[in-house]
Amino acid sequence: MSAAPDVVIIGGGVNGLVAAACLGKSGQKVLLLERGPAVGGQNQLGEFSPGFRADPLGHDAGWLPPAVARELGLTGVARVVPDPSVAVPAGPGEWLSLPPDRRRAELEIRRHSVRDAAAWPAFTTLLARLAGVLESLYVLPAPDIDTTSLGELLPLLGVARNLRGLGRKDMIEFLRTVPMSVQEFLDDRFECGPLKAAVGAVGVTHIRQGPRSGGTAFVLLHQLVGSAGGAIRGRGYWQAGPDALARAVAEVAKRHGVTVRTGAEVARITVQDDSVAGVVLESGEEIATRIVLSGADPAQTLLGMVDPVWLDPEFLLAVRNIKFRGNAARVLYALDGLPVFPGLGAPGALAGTLTLSSSLDQIERSADDAKYGRVSERPHVELHLPSVRWPGLAPPGKHVLVAQATSAPYRLRAGPWTAAARDALGSRVTGAIAEVAPGFPGQVRHCEVLTPVEIEERYGLTEGAVTQGEMTLDQILFMRPVAGASRYATPISGLYLCGAGTHPGGGIAGGPGWLAARRVLKDRRERRGASL
Amino acid sequence: MKHYDAIIVGGGHNGLVGAGYLARAGKKVLVLERRPLVGGAAVTEEIFPGFKFSVFSYVVSLLRPEIIRDLELPKHGLQILPLESTVVPLDNGDYLGSWADPDLSRRELARHSARDAEAATLFGRLMHHMAMAVKPILGMLPPDPASLAPSDLKGMLKFAGHFRSLGAEKFHALHKLMTMSSADYLDEWFEFDPLKATKSASGIIGTFLGPRSPGTAYVLLHHYMGEIDGAFRAWGFQKGGTGAISGTIARAAQALGAEIRTDATVEKVIVKGGRASGVALASGEEIGATVVVSCLDPRRTFTQLVDSKEMPADVIEAIRRFKFRGSSGKVNLALSELPDFTCLPGMGPHLRGAVSISPSLDYLERAYDDAKYGEFSKHPYMDIVIPSMIDPGMAPPGKHVMSCFVQYAPYNQAGGWTDANREAFGDAVVDTLSRYAPNLRNAIIGRQVLVPSDIERITGLTEGNIFAGELALHQLFFFRPVPGWANYRTPVKGYWQCGAGTHPGGGIMGASGRLAALEILKDVGR
Repeated sequence: MSAAPDVVIIGGGVNGLVAAACLGKSGQKVLLLERGPAVGGQNQLGEFSPGFRADPLGHDAGWLPPAVARELGLTGVARVVPDPSVAVPAGPGEWLSLPPDRRRAELEIRRHSVRDAAAWPAFTTLLARLAGVLESLYVLPAPDIDTTSLGELLPLLGVARNLRGLGRKDMIEFLRTVPMSVQEFLDDRFECGPLKAAVGAVGVTHIRQGPRSGGTAFVLLHQLVGSAGGAIRGRGYWQAGPDALARAVAEVAKRHGVTVRTGAEVARITVQDDSVAGVVLESGEEIATRIVLSGADPAQTLLGMVDPVWLDPEFLLAVRNIKFRGNAARVLYALDGLPVFPGLGAPGALAGTLTLSSSLDQIERSADDAKYGRVSERPHVELHLPSVRWPGLAPPGKHVLVAQATSAPYRLRAGPWTAAARDALGSRVTGAIAEVAPGFPGQVRHCEVLTPVEIEERYGLTEGAVTQGEMTLDQILFMRPVAGASRYATPISGLYLCGAGTHPGGGIAGGPGWLAARRVLKDRRERRGASL
Repeated sequence: MKHYDAIIVGGGHNGLVGAGYLARAGKKVLVLERRPLVGGAAVTEEIFPGFKFSVFSYVVSLLRPEIIRDLELPKHGLQILPLESTVVPLDNGDYLGSWADPDLSRRELARHSARDAEAATLFGRLMHHMAMAVKPILGMLPPDPASLAPSDLKGMLKFAGHFRSLGAEKFHALHKLMTMSSADYLDEWFEFDPLKATKSASGIIGTFLGPRSPGTAYVLLHHYMGEIDGAFRAWGFQKGGTGAISGTIARAAQALGAEIRTDATVEKVIVKGGRASGVALASGEEIGATVVVSCLDPRRTFTQLVDSKEMPADVIEAIRRFKFRGSSGKVNLALSELPDFTCLPGMGPHLRGAVSISPSLDYLERAYDDAKYGEFSKHPYMDIVIPSMIDPGMAPPGKHVMSCFVQYAPYNQAGGWTDANREAFGDAVVDTLSRYAPNLRNAIIGRQVLVPSDIERITGLTEGNIFAGELALHQLFFFRPVPGWANYRTPVKGYWQCGAGTHPGGGIMGASGRLAALEILKDVGR
């Protein structure tokens, strides 16, 4: 570096890249530091067996807010919505598959329940509208109780109008739905167990709860933000590869003059007089800067990189109390061929998600184990096949399958994760897949288990939590990452958070990075204004 | 046909409070009660000769002070005796006690965890502040959140303004309480597991949730909201049992001119031209009234007392989705001698207070696990009191009555609540208790086991839910029981609701009856 950068960004995940691109675009001199060999964060591809690559955390591409796409000119990044988007076993040799198109889904459901089929179109329409409320909240800084300035109130009124625009019934339904359990929400409407399980599983994504827990209906809505027409798991994947979005944003960032350094791990953020003075790399190199945006999670950043003397003990306590609770393991399989799932007729199903629990009780039971600090005896397993989506990821004729298995809590009561516990989990997952694909075990050439502990190590995510903090009602909006500090700034002047640990949270690709960059620019304008 | 200004269907304590307020305003009021005695779920009955029980609801804390004042209840016999302690027998033979004297409690807790003893003081202070912040809401008329009518907008502004007036710090603290699980919330404060379990038990009462489910922390506040003689967070007994509270309110209402008829089952509310005009009794008798007020739960109020054709379809649908899910049972024991707890042998002050069977969070969570899958808890959570220790009149000399509130007992027990299942449930309670007080089994002279289906059959509470509808976040304030109809009115003109299925809900609080009566008086004029 010839001169000190205006801004240093820690972490080359999508949010860090988006923040870098936005700030670069506004004329800041931005340096992005990534500890790994490449940017891309959770979306990176890795070779886990010779010739076999996978995106272990790529279960869902998330929602790219159109405003972010517009600001960075990302409109050309194409997305594919698999059809059907999800399928679930519905008895021996039988599957229920849900196309994103609600009319066709209705026909599929009709084979299992006429009543549920009739309810489906109205249900998905409702889901889309309710998720739409969240969508409008997710493109603004989190509203808070002490929001007073007119400038902040106006967009909020827009949200309120949007709420009103939904109509009386929808608005009430939104307020009523959010604290409910996804099980109650579904029991009110449906009778078909596999259908309820396929939808309800979405409500326990990345949290350590079962579908009977309060607030899981919110998680369902959150996961549907940006989903095509309320389709279950209708966000799809990036056509050009799991890291397509990250690569595209990195291109934009470079165009705006952002310098990206990989293999550069930040050891600590130096502070003087309550203000950022610079960063120190693991190598000992010091880089002076007045502004740091960290895409690392709040705990990694505030407990790991900052000398605690600069932070108020109560604030530190609040950060320590953030619930991370990584609860899912990933099992990566290198396969000799495409697995055969008898009864799964739809040809496109293997590009979508296969969810293997046929009842909400089964998911609930897998979550029960986590409450007592145990790995599930019978984990809730969801599959995707990256090599079907992107054929280049495995040698010709060979395939890659990624299984997400819940519950596999980060902390086990019996003691640390052992190789034996990891292997046992791997066998249970293989067994669960074999139940619906009897030939599967014979196709496995290689299998690798990533528990939350490995996910923490590999991705720098506290407790292996991919959302950088559970998306539960007590940790969203003005409570994210901690109450009173939801606007990206921290108590240290010049230090900002820009990762999924901030509003609007995990699964909103680039949303936190974009809003954090705007906050930095706003502060800069205000400082300039004040010094005039 | 006789005609009244107001007929109240159901002589539960809320109905009686409503009757008192209406009579006090000079209205001609009639209360109709199906059973031979008033009180609803707050009744005292002699189940075994000489042994009197508060059959269902057994402690009081939330009875609103303004009601006590307005209806002059002390004059009519209200006498609440404080319940001073809670003791939790632990699995290692020790116990955790909480006593009337705060210093003693602090020392006792410090014996288990010095850190928690320190935290408990701060925690108590925060809870007190939070309870103060929530209390005004208990007295607010819930507005319709989606209405643009001036009165509703005013109500929403008042509601929002109240939160805003709390300031960011308290508002955030309150938000956490409303959205977290009691286990998570308490984990932020305490380390001693039995303490967390016992505190979180209050969050699961009357719900079908476990202590680790979000949405259970809020009920922690209820324990800090009670007021007896102006002292916060006290629980107490009425002399003569909870039925005596109902009796007191009934006498107060009668003194103000209200009439009460027992053994009078209302079959239907008569609706003419979209307006309630009276009630028809099961006997065939019809009685006219300007307003009819239902003190029954929302399902009965909206879908059973009136023809469904009188209610809009969306209201019927919303009522169908209103959650009852009764989850608790009650075991009333007549004892030949006092239980002898291994952790605190013999006679002692602990027998004058509550004994909580909540040795660990896992214990409670396992109890919930059983119920989730349709079985009563093999080792349930229990809140036990021995009323005869405080009020000797409840049992023959030298003998005792013991009240065990038990959770979980799901309404939809696998195989149904057959006599065999009911007895098995009673056995589970006695077996569990005998682990802590081995003499109990042989001291039992009489045993009454009440499961949700019994509670439903006797009191009429749908699915046996003791709060006339779960106290869950999505069923509170303007959602209770149905958005748009949380203001004690119903879509049928002249037909009102005043039971615990309306804001602010369950417990012997009387607030629903009072708020409903005040609204009725606004409408029909004083």
